Amino acid sequence: MGKFEEGMESMVDMYIYETTTLLEQLDQILIKTEGAGTFDKESIDEIFRIMHTIKGSSAMMGLENMSSLAHAIEDMFYIIREEKPAMDSTKDLYELVFNASDLLKAEIENLQEEEYTATDFAPCHDKIKAYVEVLKNGGSVAASGDAEAAPAQAESTAASNAQAGMVNVKVIFDDDCKMENLRALLLVNKIREDCEVLTYEPADIESNTDSAKVIVENGFFVHFKAIDGNDAVVISGIEEALNVKSYEILESEEVPAPAPASAEEAPKAETEDAPASAAAEEAPKAAAPKAEDSKKSVEQINNMLQSKSGGGKQSLISVNLNKLDQLLDMVGEIVITEAMVTGNPDLKGLQLDNFQKSARQLRKLNSELQDIVMSIRMVPLSGAFNKMTRIVRDMKVKLNRDVNLVFEGENTEVDKSVIDNLNDPLMHMVRNAVDHGIEENVQDRIDAGKDPVGTVKLSAYNSSGEVIIVVSDDGTGMNAEKLLNKAERNGILTKPKEEYTEREAFQLVMAPGFSTNEVVTEFSGRGVGMDVVKKNIEKIGGTVSVESKLGEGTQFIIKIPLSLAIVDGMELGVGQSIFTVPINSIKESFKLKESQLIHDTDGNEMIMIRGECYPLIRLYSIYDLKPTYENIYDGIIILVESEGKSACIYADELIGEQQVVVKPFPSMFNDFNIKQNGMSGCTILGDGNITIILDVNNIITNF
Amino acid sequence: MEEIYNESSNIAVEGGEILQFEIDDAIYGIEIQYITEIIQIPQITIVPKVPDYIKGVVNLRGKVIPVMSVRRRFGKEEIPFDDRTCIVVISWENLAVGLIVDGVREVAQIKPEEISLTPNYKNVNTNKYIRYIIESGDEIKLLLNCETLIMER
Repeated sequence: MGKFEEGMESMVDMYIYETTTLLEQLDQILIKTEGAGTFDKESIDEIFRIMHTIKGSSAMMGLENMSSLAHAIEDMFYIIREEKPAMDSTKDLYELVFNASDLLKAEIENLQEEEYTATDFAPCHDKIKAYVEVLKNGGSVAASGDAEAAPAQAESTAASNAQAGMVNVKVIFDDDCKMENLRALLLVNKIREDCEVLTYEPADIESNTDSAKVIVENGFFVHFKAIDGNDAVVISGIEEALNVKSYEILESEEVPAPAPASAEEAPKAETEDAPASAAAEEAPKAAAPKAEDSKKSVEQINNMLQSKSGGGKQSLISVNLNKLDQLLDMVGEIVITEAMVTGNPDLKGLQLDNFQKSARQLRKLNSELQDIVMSIRMVPLSGAFNKMTRIVRDMKVKLNRDVNLVFEGENTEVDKSVIDNLNDPLMHMVRNAVDHGIEENVQDRIDAGKDPVGTVKLSAYNSSGEVIIVVSDDGTGMNAEKLLNKAERNGILTKPKEEYTEREAFQLVMAPGFSTNEVVTEFSGRGVGMDVVKKNIEKIGGTVSVESKLGEGTQFIIKIPLSLAIVDGMELGVGQSIFTVPINSIKESFKLKESQLIHDTDGNEMIMIRGECYPLIRLYSIYDLKPTYENIYDGIIILVESEGKSACIYADELIGEQQVVVKPFPSMFNDFNIKQNGMSGCTILGDGNITIILDVNNIITNF
Repeated sequence: MEEIYNESSNIAVEGGEILQFEIDDAIYGIEIQYITEIIQIPQITIVPKVPDYIKGVVNLRGKVIPVMSVRRRFGKEEIPFDDRTCIVVISWENLAVGLIVDGVREVAQIKPEEISLTPNYKNVNTNKYIRYIIESGDEIKLLLNCETLIMER
């Protein structure tokens, strides 16, 4: 790779993760405040903090361009915060910050490419500079506005006030840990949160690589005053920082080179050569609560934005998803092995009371283990939903359309792998809803007696082992007639136009090459969107359907299986083959009586159960297998139901119930379209044999 | 096609080792770096609705891999499995596939001068699975093309 300094590559993932999260939070804050029309102090502080963190970590990764852009924004907000200029029009400011945020995001994307070249952010820099000028000139504060002087002044007074109660710590880093200056910067960033005043020496660690040598020779000096005098938190923060070999708390005489202080929130002062001094105080070495690292700010914002459990401390760690996947695989293997052991043929016919007791205990523990592993991987949908606010915001500005985005049930949890595949589809659907769904003309809405402000709603809820996500708008709705005409022109109809029901017509929007928008816009209209949505959702085993009412709006309904990995299955034998049917789709099973079988005029078989008539599907005939019993009265009928549709499946025998681990088909099979033939995956049984898991819904629809 | 192979292997230039196996009386070879292992025929689970040369899937230590009848792939009649029949598991671009063959032979060292290209006529694609023809000693061996073997529909 070689795009980062040596030793930094292992941190790239962490950096990307953190920075992306921070940028998303930035967007959230911006959207929130833009809606409110003003910046409150809290939001400015948050933005400031986010930019500061990005600046620091980017500098650490050697990404000068990102660091300096973040720095510029930080400075801009510094002025906004400190000088409180009268901001008549914040529109430009928002554009500017959104733009910068996009640039940073794009750069993060770039980073993940093999070939990375730093993007030049000069145009954005210029814009920020220009805006800062505007701020200064238009600002109510007299044009003292030298951004660099003002903070330094402010800080020096702050620091001198805070002379008393400062703690001095000398930190020695591990021998040969390399880049001591960056380690020091990391440490400073880590404890900054807990400090009221924080200075350090050498002070130019961020900009001067030679400072590493100084640190190696003299050690790194930190002078701080903890918030609420809670020194122990900061000390333990230092203790836990990476590569710290040892630290000592100094008496004031030992502090070298006293000088006017610079302090934490003086971005410029940090780069100036302004070492500091202060009186020392012995830090109480009490058993301190674990120091929160820089992610604390992330959590704070999270708490603030999602108004979750008010401010309670969360203890989070981030884990590589691969490890979780491995864990899940391992649990799957354990489930299989457990079945192998407890159902071992060697045990047949033996009376093993104690063994059975232990086996039951094992099964119970295993299923708990499964639940826990599953719950680890569960993430609330709010993250994916929140991303949409930004998209809607951009479209509102560009299309000049007034739309509200409303969430419902955003705390519904789904598997992490599902979320990752959901972002794109959701984005397409929300764009579609805003661009096509909501009326172009506000007057149209008023005429129709609707609220002039359109509403796009994202809602999510659990329903019988599935998560259902609905993207709905209260716009024009779809016109089945128009859809069919368009589809006919595009040549994607598969049967005569007259034979399409309204529902079927709506599903056409998801056919490849279909776009109702006459004009291709930036946001939609190329006719690739909805079939991509469909494909992505199908990839994770879900389905999409469309419902619409002319004049009232359109709904896209996504159904995703809650758990992709382990299902309760019933095994059916058909000749030599064994199939697994998910238990939750089986209603009942029975032997057929002659009186129940009826034929229609085409010779299709149907079965009458308690006055209801169900189609009969013979598994062996749809899959060209050789059954043991061709005579339908010898085998067994299983009544299955999925999504409100029912059918009877004919198989030779029921073999038994087992918890099975779903494995995807080998990727080679993707080209054979077997998912469209009612097979959703395969699974390994206790005896090592493989069975095929049937997709009941698909079988009912396709056969 | 040729370029892809030049990147991954250059058996035609430097020579190399191939695993030899038999189908009918012909000897085929696959370069050793594609071979994962050779296994006895396990229980094969039939997968409906796939081309007939895919015999189904097998459980290879917890992994589900497809198995392909090379006989069917080459358009030959299938014969019942005997104790020489086995599965050669190959891995091509992280795609594991089992090949059912009549029997395997030893690994052979191939020199570049023994290798010749297949005749290439525009309208003949009988040799789409064959990469090189190897003439070593008094035997002719056909070096298979893993890519077309796996990917070609």
